[in-house]
Amino acid sequence: MISWILVIIGEILIAVGAICDLIAAIGMNRFPNFFVRLHALTVGTIGGAFVPLIGVALLSLGAEFLGVYRFFMAGASIVSAVLLLFLAPVGSHAIARAAHRSKAATVHPKVVDHLEEDRERGVVV
Amino acid sequence: MEIEEHVMLFITFIAPVFIASIILYLIRALRGPTIPDMVIAVDAISFDIAVFLAVLAVYFKSPILISCVIVLMLWAYALDIYVAKYLESKDMGG
Amino acid sequence: MLYYLLMALSSLLSIPAIYLAVEERDLVKAVIFSAVQSTLYAFLYYLLMAPDIFLTYIPVGVGLYTALILILIKKTERYESD
Repeated sequence: MISWILVIIGEILIAVGAICDLIAAIGMNRFPNFFVRLHALTVGTIGGAFVPLIGVALLSLGAEFLGVYRFFMAGASIVSAVLLLFLAPVGSHAIARAAHRSKAATVHPKVVDHLEEDRERGVVV
Repeated sequence: MEIEEHVMLFITFIAPVFIASIILYLIRALRGPTIPDMVIAVDAISFDIAVFLAVLAVYFKSPILISCVIVLMLWAYALDIYVAKYLESKDMGG
Repeated sequence: MLYYLLMALSSLLSIPAIYLAVEERDLVKAVIFSAVQSTLYAFLYYLLMAPDIFLTYIPVGVGLYTALILILIKKTERYESD
């Protein structure tokens, strides 16, 4: 009974992650510029990769046809999920800062950009 | 229905969603107009393929394949840091 | 069945990345296309049940090769001339 509960919860989490991945992939193609596409990257990272990895860990704890090594599988999934939770926001912040400083990504429908004005006046380095 | 049959049927239904999102990310990675666009698309492809590898390790019933996920995640992060460092060093004139 | 379908799909999707990496004039973009190709080939090795080759192909293809070529581009010039 407990294995059925673990398997059902794991499958629900994997399904939620797959739907988030599809939404993020559509948004990555439809959004107008780089700084808006970062939002789609966040949906695809946390909703589309962290949640289904926890789901795989629960599913493999409940699936008894995998043998004794299913505990190794659950542990590796949780370790990689926690690593992803630390590393993916750091990477996206680093690439966003570099893109804004070096003007590699132009913002086409732009209303106001106070950081760029402050950088031109010399207030912020 | 047994647990094994149920899990196999579920993975057979969920795999085309992952494949479709990989193809859509790949379109943006190949025709992105600027370099940061392409880098974040490669990031998203790497994380998506990592989750797909973890699901396929359940499908193939060989749990030792799960150790590939950690490696793929760490090196996708390294690509971000390399390109960010290159863009900033060109800005500072180093 | 899913096995052969995934192998065919992964090797077909790497063809545009290889073509663009050869044709591209901007060398930084060519490096990123090469990283896409390395990721897809590593997925192919995973499907062939060779996780040890996967564990060495990802650091070499995505990590070391990209870092080396970016350092070389920084020392020389970025755009390839005719």
